[in-house]
Formats: sequence, structure tokens, C-alpha cells
Amino acid sequence: MNISSLEGIRIIDLTRILSGPYCTMTLADFGAEVIKVEAPSGDDTRNWGPPFVGTESSYFLSVNRNKKSIVIDLKKKEGKDILLKLVEGADVVVENFRPGTLQRLGIGYNILKETNPQIILSSISGFGQDGPYASKPGYDVIAQGMGGLTYVTGEPNQAPVKAGFSIADIGTGMWAVIGILNAIVARTMTGKGQWVDCSLIDTMISWQTYLAGNFFGSGENPKPQGGAHPNIVPYQLFDSSDGYFNIAVGNEKLWKRFCHTLNESELIDHPKYAKNSDRVQNRKQLVGYLQTIFKSKTAKEWVDIFEKAGIPCGPVLNFDEIYTDQHVLAREQLIEMEHPSAGKIKMTGIPIKLSDTPGSVKTPPPLLGQHTKEILKKINNLNEDQIVNLEKSGVIKCSPLTSDLAN
Amino acid sequence: MLALDNVKVLDLSQIMAGPYCTMVLSDMGAEVTKIESFPNGDNSRGMSPIVNGQSYCFAMINRNKKSVALNLKSEAGIEVFRKLAIESDIIVENFRPGVTKKLGIDYDSMKRLNPGVIYSSISGFGQTGPYKNKGGLDIIAQGVSGLMSMTGEPDGRPAKVGVAINDIAAGATALYAILGAYIHKLKTGEGQYIDTSLVDAGLAWTIWESGAYFGSGEVPTQNGTRHRRSAPYQAYRTKDGYITVGTFNSRLWERFCYHVVQRPDWLNNDLYADKQARLTNVDILEREIEDIFMQEKTNYWIDKLDQAGVPGGPVNTYDQALSDPQILEREMVVEMEHPILGKINSLGIPTKLSKTPLSIRDPAPWLGQHSTERLLEIGLTDEQINRLYEDKILFNEHPSKAKTN
Repeated sequence: MNISSLEGIRIIDLTRILSGPYCTMTLADFGAEVIKVEAPSGDDTRNWGPPFVGTESSYFLSVNRNKKSIVIDLKKKEGKDILLKLVEGADVVVENFRPGTLQRLGIGYNILKETNPQIILSSISGFGQDGPYASKPGYDVIAQGMGGLTYVTGEPNQAPVKAGFSIADIGTGMWAVIGILNAIVARTMTGKGQWVDCSLIDTMISWQTYLAGNFFGSGENPKPQGGAHPNIVPYQLFDSSDGYFNIAVGNEKLWKRFCHTLNESELIDHPKYAKNSDRVQNRKQLVGYLQTIFKSKTAKEWVDIFEKAGIPCGPVLNFDEIYTDQHVLAREQLIEMEHPSAGKIKMTGIPIKLSDTPGSVKTPPPLLGQHTKEILKKINNLNEDQIVNLEKSGVIKCSPLTSDLAN
Repeated sequence: MLALDNVKVLDLSQIMAGPYCTMVLSDMGAEVTKIESFPNGDNSRGMSPIVNGQSYCFAMINRNKKSVALNLKSEAGIEVFRKLAIESDIIVENFRPGVTKKLGIDYDSMKRLNPGVIYSSISGFGQTGPYKNKGGLDIIAQGVSGLMSMTGEPDGRPAKVGVAINDIAAGATALYAILGAYIHKLKTGEGQYIDTSLVDAGLAWTIWESGAYFGSGEVPTQNGTRHRRSAPYQAYRTKDGYITVGTFNSRLWERFCYHVVQRPDWLNNDLYADKQARLTNVDILEREIEDIFMQEKTNYWIDKLDQAGVPGGPVNTYDQALSDPQILEREMVVEMEHPILGKINSLGIPTKLSKTPLSIRDPAPWLGQHSTERLLEIGLTDEQINRLYEDKILFNEHPSKAKTN
């Protein structure tokens, strides 16, 4: 019944680790056929444990669902030929090697384009395909640091910290998705493919938005604010008698309601706190005062009180709390499925709901080479003998469980 | 040629999540008509710094758009909205769930007028589930989706990610869903409804941390700048700032010891014998590395890292990041002329396409800049438009500049 918006789109996925795999997982969730091409040693993250679940690492399992795995040694000529054969019948190639690697392997954009003029190549790298740092290695922590995010995250006057998850990798994977979808739309008009170039550092810069606006407009470097907002007070994290909660008093109407709720009506028109601009100026005094009040009850009590008053607020949850939260579960942000070696595995859900072409999770992350045989037979028209010979000479590898599982 | 030439977007959203989404659609060539209330318009028009009466923050994420200031609390205003909706391909809104229904401009109403319309809603907690009616701003969503509990100094207070990351995640997630839906529309002519939430979008980005939690029950906590699986892989203090280093395999670790810190003896030190040992002793390792890094400035160490082929880079402030030669060559800072602000900078496009590159064409509009223009385009007469202005249904902040652009 459900149709997928990317039904019929075939992706050749040369990526590993996180940024590229996140991109291709998203495309797979929306119905694209993703063929993950792995070196004989497999995606590095297959070994990034503990934790391991069955034979697989949690890292690998978290970002490779709905894909097929084929193992090809691209350093061998026969391996390259197999790949180009796959590209002939594909729509998109995604890669996250360092710039120049694809050319060195003899499968640069020009060769791919000659092989298939409709092919869309999406390249993800630390610093992009051009510019003085193009050949530098770029990892998540480096991009967060160079793109200004680390500098604005953390407590005031303390060492900078990074966002606690791999935001540069994932964000860049997302920009690649957006670029690829744009190229698919354009191809319906031009009939031609193109090259999409995304980098971790560009992604970090593109998200500075308001803070860059502050900087361009005032020339001042934004500083870390801990759990607070640079332009709005009170809009921040507070400590309670048993933990933390957030409150967001975004306008003067809410400020009045907030003061009444706390039985602090005299604050409403207090010359130091009457307007948001006053409160920003006297932030320290006000926040200190509020903090002493908030120490008198638990976080849950405060959240209940402010919710009743219609003031935006919320708890600061950890994963134990999140993945048992009734709302998170109601939104299907936790999915369970059966994996051939890992048993029942859990994964994050699909973060967007479409009424007619929703995303879906159909198959678990593949074993290394699980679909080698199936793909070579179906797409490359190879027979059993040819496949056995290729495997003997180390050009390909089939999972011992292989396509019996897939079929 | 732009990929979304001839695509019309009707944009009811304000502040961040929705406007970020529609900015990228407009960069792709879509004509985005931003519907704003008046006299204040989009809430972010009040955000400082204000230059010549216009907000610089607003200008950052509203380029390429047209502004129509329209009173949606009047029947005549809703009538104009319906006319605009009939000829739109995409509608984006980020009100609290239920508001569009009250206004009579929810998906079901719009679908009756325009069956092919793609209607995208962005909210704090989504259109379903027990919390759907709660107010969900970026900071609330950062707390609820776990991002704050895993950001900050070890054992310190939770910190929020320094930019409005759940807003941006929701905007970007809505954006790719809209593009997917548009591809479906090109094939079938069908529209559909899209529901994104700040909490879902943020949670979906904690992919590895969620994986580790599902695999072993590990609850991620604050970790400063450290990696949860590799060391040394974090920021270190230097004589004049901070520098990041990313050694995630033994080959890079060896190079780091030999050529960067020149401590080959560490390779024989049991404390650092393998990745697991380095993670266990990450505090000692940090102190030892910082003792060395503190002796020279950041640039010195960057050269060392580059020569050794070990990944690393500075921890930039905004002025450093935005004047970095790589950033400039990648055109991540774009200068443009704003009719009121004057010369302004805008952030560039982070996805470069060889054939249909996204483009920055026009500065952000003043409130109601295109009120007249867009209404003329959908067939209203000058007379009708003037009456709407007189009846306070329509507004233009700078009528004297009206005919320009």
C-alpha cells in the first residue's frame, strides 16, 4: 500500500563510518535501493566495539539498515570493472574518501560520467573538493572546532566543549541527501547527472545562522553560554532540588505569567527586569535569584507547575528516560527488528512522518558481503562459476550466510 | 537553471526551524512567499543586532524570499491566503499543532482547494503523541531529546549545543522530506502531509550514542570534547588557544608520538598500550599532552600535525572561522546589498552542485515588501489591493520604497 518516494532509485554506496552511511540510510529509508560496496575488511565501524551484538558492532548496526552489502576489492582491476558495471545501471554514487582517492582508484567523476551520463556523484569530505585544505583529513571533532561550534558550546569562561554527538558528520550526510534529491529533481528536466560536493566544515559554518548574524552585525565573537540563550532571559537550564530542567520565557506575556506563577509579581515591573533587554543586562542577578527559588522543588514539580501555567519548559532527559518516554514511543522513535546474527535489535525510528510516502525500515543492517552473490547474479549477470573464481582470486567476498538469507 | 525554478512555496513559518527550511528551498530556486503578521512580522525581526531598524539575525535566514504582510485573523485575509495557496506547490508552517485548523488553513482545508499541495508542519513534539500540545522551543527540545545530557564538561552542568541545533535539524529534516515528496509529486501529481518535530529530528541525530545504548545500555554523559571510543581524539589547550587532534587508529597514534609530541617512549608505556588503555587513562594522557602543547602556539602545532599527517585543527572563534582562507575559497561567506541594512554578509551554500547549484539572489525582504507585487500576480486589482491596505488586512513597512525590487 505504501509507496516510497525514491522507489526505483539505485544508489552505489562507497562510504564508510558515519557521514556517508547516514546519508545513504536516509535515502534507503525512503525506498532507494542502496548497495553498500565494502572492502574485504568491511566498513571500519564493523569492528568498533564493544558493544558488539552478535557478530556486529552497535556502531555499524545503528546506521546501515535497509542496505545490501557487496564486497569488492576496488584495488584490483576486475573489482573496478564490477563496480563500473554496477554504476551503469545506477542513479547515484556516494563516497566519503579523501578528495583525490576516487581518481587514484580510476573511478573519478569523469569516468563515472562516461560510464553513465545520468549518474549523480555525491562526495563528502572534511574540507571539500577544493580550497587550500582540500587534501587535509577532516573528522568530526576537527570540523566542530574549525567551524566555530566548539567555541560557542560549554560553560562561560571554561574550556570549550563539543556537541556531545557527531553533529558535523551527520549534518554533512544530511546536506548530501538534500543535494542528491535536488540533483534527482534537476535530472527530470535535464536528463543529466551532476557532482554534489559537501564538506564537514561547510556544514558547521552553514549552521551558525543567528550567531553569525550577531557577529556580522556587531563584530563581536559569540561566547559559550552554557545552557543559556545569548539574546533571551530567562531562556535556559536551571538546577532544581534533584536535577535540571529548562524554561523558555520568550516574550513579555510569558514573563508576566512566569512571575505570577512564582508568586513574584513585584519582578514584573521591576526596573531591572521589566523588559527582555533589561533582563539580558541584569542576567546574572536575576538568574541567581531564580536559581535559589528553583532549588526548593524537584525538576518534575517545576515542569508540572510551569506546564500548567502554559510556559514552555521541559526536563533534561538521559537515554534511559528518553527511550521509555511515552511520547517518544508514541512517535515510533524506537524500532525493534530481527537481525540474523544479533537477534532482536533496537534502532532509532524515522524522524519525519509523510502521509503518503512514509519512510520504512524493511531490512536489518547487512552482514559483510551478505548480498554479493545476489547482486552479481542479478545486476552483473555473472554465473555461479564466475562468482566462485572471483572469490578465489580475492576480488569479491561472499558472507558464509550469504544470499540464502537474502532470498 | 535551478532545480526548483517555477516551484511556489507559501511560507507561514517564523523564527528558525521553518524559515531555515524555506531558505534552502528558495536557494534551490523556489519562489518563497513569506506570510507575516503585522506590525511586527516574524518574531525574529526583533532580534538584535538591529541595523537601520532591520534585524541582522532575520536577514541571515530569510534571503531570497518575498514578504507579504497579511492579517490572517480576518476573513478577507484568509481569502487572500486561499488564493495564494491554490497556486502553491508547497506550504510550510511551524505553529503549535491545532492553530492552522483554528484559522481554517490546515492541510485538509488546503487539500480541498489544491489536491497536489505538499503541506509541511514543523512543531516541538509533533502532531501526535501525548506531548503534542506542549510548547517546544529549541532549548526544550535539546533537553528532551538528550542532547544536553551528553554535552558539557564531564560531571559538570549539561550544556546546550551552542547553536539552535534542534531547530536546524527539524528544518533540514522537513526539507529532505519535502524534496522526497516533490519527487513523488513529479511522478504522480499527488501531494501529501509532512509532520516533523524538533524532538524527533534531534533524537535521530544521536545515531551512534543511541546505537551504543541499544547495544549495551550505555547512557551517554557529558564528555567535554572527547570521543567516546578513541583517544587521543579531542581538543587540547595550547599556549594561545585550543587545538583538536583526531587519532583513531594505531598508525596515527604512532605518528603522533613520533612526529608531533616527540614522545616515542609513550609507545612502550603500558598506560597507552592500546586504544582501550588510552581511553581508560585519558585524564593522564590529556595532562601529558597539554604539558607539551602549552609550550607552543596553536599554529606551531597545526604545522606539526600537518607534516606528520595527523588529523587536527584549531578551535576557531567566529572571526577566525569566517576569515579562514578555506572558508572563503569555498564561498561560505557571501556579501550582498540590502536596501536598508546596506552591505551585509550572508552564510554560503554548504552543498555544491555542478549543474544546478543553489544560489543566493536577493536579500531578506522588509516586512510586506512584496505585498502588492504578489497580490497583483494572483489577479487582484490595484483597487482591491488598496482597499486591503485601508482595511488593515495588508501591510507594507516601507510603502515609499514599494515599487523597487
